[in-house]
Amino acid sequence: MRLDLQGKAFGPRAVLGPLSLTAGRGQRLAVLGPSGIGKSTLLRIVAGLDHAFAGHLSGDDRVAMVFQEPTLLPWRPALQNITIPTGCDAATAGALMAQVGLAGREAQFPRQLSLGQQRRLALARAFAARPDILLMDEPFASLDPDTADRMIALTAGLLDRSGAGLILVTHDAEEPARLGARPLILSGSPATLGPAPTDAR
Amino acid sequence: MLALWAVAAAVLDTPRSLPGPAAVAARVAGLVMSGELWLHAGMTLMRVLAAFVLAMTLGVGLGLWMGRSRGADHWLNPALVIALNMPALVVIVLAYIWIGLNEAAAIALNKIPLVTVMLREGARALRPDLDEMAAAFRMSRLDRLRHVVLPQLAPHVAAAARAGISLIWKIVLVVEFLGRSNGVGFKIHLLFSSFDVAGVLAWALAFVAVMLAIDIGLLRRWEARANRWRRDAA
Repeated sequence: MRLDLQGKAFGPRAVLGPLSLTAGRGQRLAVLGPSGIGKSTLLRIVAGLDHAFAGHLSGDDRVAMVFQEPTLLPWRPALQNITIPTGCDAATAGALMAQVGLAGREAQFPRQLSLGQQRRLALARAFAARPDILLMDEPFASLDPDTADRMIALTAGLLDRSGAGLILVTHDAEEPARLGARPLILSGSPATLGPAPTDAR
Repeated sequence: MLALWAVAAAVLDTPRSLPGPAAVAARVAGLVMSGELWLHAGMTLMRVLAAFVLAMTLGVGLGLWMGRSRGADHWLNPALVIALNMPALVVIVLAYIWIGLNEAAAIALNKIPLVTVMLREGARALRPDLDEMAAAFRMSRLDRLRHVVLPQLAPHVAAAARAGISLIWKIVLVVEFLGRSNGVGFKIHLLFSSFDVAGVLAWALAFVAVMLAIDIGLLRRWEARANRWRRDAA
């Protein structure tokens, strides 16, 4: 998958400048930068959710998204929250739920799960779509350190097993290293992508 | 209420204009026994059902469209305001003249604007994050409607259904009163011509009982099912 972006603006305000981004199976990269710089905007363009940009998005890789919030269907039980959006069968969904430690909770509604469990369900949902590239938008934000650690380990394991690539958007400089992702920095106004300084932690 | 009615009937002692509860109850029993109630209430119920399905389908569709599309809302809103404020009787008379004796349409026309308004408010409050999730996972239009949009609108649909069914059956009676040869409204017309108050009350109460049974039996059950997910873990 390749994105050649000339620019992205909201009205008169230019948010993203010219940049290009390539990703594929097995390649992991992370986009770092402070809040409000346009990281989520960039990810939404890659995900095909935002078509109003100058540039070109090519490639036919399957992408799946893990949002900042779990974004589950509150009125559908956990298992159907995987099968309905992704169209996968119940056995696959059940197996993925077991992999993220949610075995036995298939019939519960999202409200009846803790926030950590809801996020793991959202992770299982993304992998159920059998993505070539997994897109993650600050997926570990607002989790307590222990839960975040477990989520990161879980994500790394699932990426290893499925061979999917990763584009991670985060403001935490430590996360990319723990997922084996190449860090890129989004900075400037309008923002452009650059390699992370080598002395970054 | 029953006691008040019994006392008033006893004090006034005018069985022609205000019969007591016992007399009305006897008439209801008579209607049930003779099978007359089921025939006419059945006809009325069929009309209520046809008009209800038509009004809910079109009203939900229109409301959803107007709630989601600024353009549709802008152009259709004046028509909606006019339709909302048009007296039911005028609509019924005009519908009889323009589209013939199609009572379902006449009744539905009165109800559609109300459903539309209620659903438009619901559609305006749909969650954008779930829309985005559905788009990111490339969900089909039908799946989005079934699993993302309609569950969010369920409370608005239930409110519209409840307000609607009570409005519809009253309008159905007016339509039957004006120009049908069967149904509860037709019977009330006959009894009204002969000033048979006990008969009018018997029919009205019997039919209210039928509608109450429908509310408890169907509407409430469906609501309880649709709201299961709001409960915390048992």
